[in-house]
Amino acid sequence: MENHLLEVKGIDVLYGDVQAVWDVSIHVEEEKIVALVGANGAGKTTLLKTISGITPAKKGEILFQGNSIAKLKPQEVVDIGISHVPEGRRLFSSLTVLENLKLGAYPSRARPLMANSLERAFSLFPLLKNRKDQKAGSLSGGEQQMLAIGRALMAHPVLLMLDEPSLGLSPIFVRTIFELISTLNAQKITILLVEQNINQALKIAHQAYVLKTGKIAMNGSGDELLADPEVQRAYIGKRWSKS
Amino acid sequence: MWEYITFGLIVQLFVNGILFGTMYGIAAIGLSLVFGTMRIIFLAQGTMIIFMAYICYWIFTLMGIDPYLSLVIIVPLSLLLGIGLYHILFREAAGLEDKNISLLIAVGLMFLMENLITVIWTANPRFIETSYTSFAFRPMGINISVTRLNGLIMALLSTAGVLLFLKKTMIGMAVRAASEDMISATLVGISPHRVNAVAFAIGIGLAGVAGVGLATIYPFDPYYGFIFALKAIISLAIGGIGSVVGALLGGILLGLIESLASFFFSGGWSDAISFAVFLIVLMFKPEGLFVRSINKA
Repeated sequence: MENHLLEVKGIDVLYGDVQAVWDVSIHVEEEKIVALVGANGAGKTTLLKTISGITPAKKGEILFQGNSIAKLKPQEVVDIGISHVPEGRRLFSSLTVLENLKLGAYPSRARPLMANSLERAFSLFPLLKNRKDQKAGSLSGGEQQMLAIGRALMAHPVLLMLDEPSLGLSPIFVRTIFELISTLNAQKITILLVEQNINQALKIAHQAYVLKTGKIAMNGSGDELLADPEVQRAYIGKRWSKS
Repeated sequence: MWEYITFGLIVQLFVNGILFGTMYGIAAIGLSLVFGTMRIIFLAQGTMIIFMAYICYWIFTLMGIDPYLSLVIIVPLSLLLGIGLYHILFREAAGLEDKNISLLIAVGLMFLMENLITVIWTANPRFIETSYTSFAFRPMGINISVTRLNGLIMALLSTAGVLLFLKKTMIGMAVRAASEDMISATLVGISPHRVNAVAFAIGIGLAGVAGVGLATIYPFDPYYGFIFALKAIISLAIGGIGSVVGALLGGILLGLIESLASFFFSGGWSDAISFAVFLIVLMFKPEGLFVRSINKA
């Protein structure tokens, strides 16, 4: 029995006259990690932006816990339990670490829980506690990614969407981020992950979709796709096979 | 002329400049906040200040209420007016990619207000004359007019109030966050209309304070608003867009420049020099003169 937390049904997304996503359908089961992989410009980021309401779909339906969310604005989407950590982190860099975290609890649902949420964020990321009065812009790339994820967790999301969380990070931080994703998932948070580190993403994903020029090219479990010769050849290649 | 210059005179020019410059400063803070979330220069800011000066004048002449006491009416009124203006005039345009529409609305509002004020109060200059208008403190021979000193105190208090609001409240933090990255702000649950309306409320609220300050210091007429808006824009450029303290310091510096220039050259030169400073700052330090010190604070 499948339990769909999020269902995306046949959506088209356009930027002006340019279509970025063509008739894409995906589903995300509760408490699973689902990965969206593919080359640059395949439409992965656009798909996340459409779910979170930044770039509304031209056609199609998006259901979250059975309710249509396709017409919701970003601030409404986060309020119902979907947090989106955008590509490039997009922290409020002139605000302090603490202020960034507090703003994560902006939705009315999350605000009364702020004190506990802060404690949880600091126990998850002790590094941030030491730097709580520092400007977010002064953190290293890895610390910024942790703050971005910490900020998203402050809203107590049911579904956490991460766009390229390991991009530009040192190998140590990349490992930390992937471990963190598994930890969060073990705490019953459903994860929708967009990654250019396809090998690692498929390893931790229960389910994955391969996007190609705005369309779903393949889907299956993480292991299936990892073993698929075409995925190996097109996206992973020799330089990843040893890791 | 040079034989008249004494140390006391120079100090006097500085004091005058600083006292009046704070009025430019709080006007510039309003511009800065509105620019932060809306990405437009709110050109009607000066006319709103003049409008509030007329309201203060009205309350004073019709009801006999002291101009400083009328702040308890004018500040809440102008906060509400700010929220109302946003929702009626800017709500639709704020969501558009093209910010020129919002800018044009601000220009339209400015001319509309200017004409309405002329119809209601005529174009004759008005002035509020109280029992203490000509009163001045004279510490060490320096003349400090009590109305200008009150203007300075009001400006400092309202700047401190705005800073506390932006720093300590959730909605204040949301305004700062949205000024930096509106998309990212919506992703944490912040509504653009909410922060835009709050920025407008504070902007027009400060216009209320500046209006009372101005009405007690200078004679004013409907067309002075546009000039005041230009002065606020210069202050903003000097102080650096996006910094509250910078905007206040920018206003004070502009006040100083004007005070010194109108004494050593003439009133006409004073404006020419102000605009030259504006261009020079934008050419060589477009981020503003006080930005680095603000980031540390």
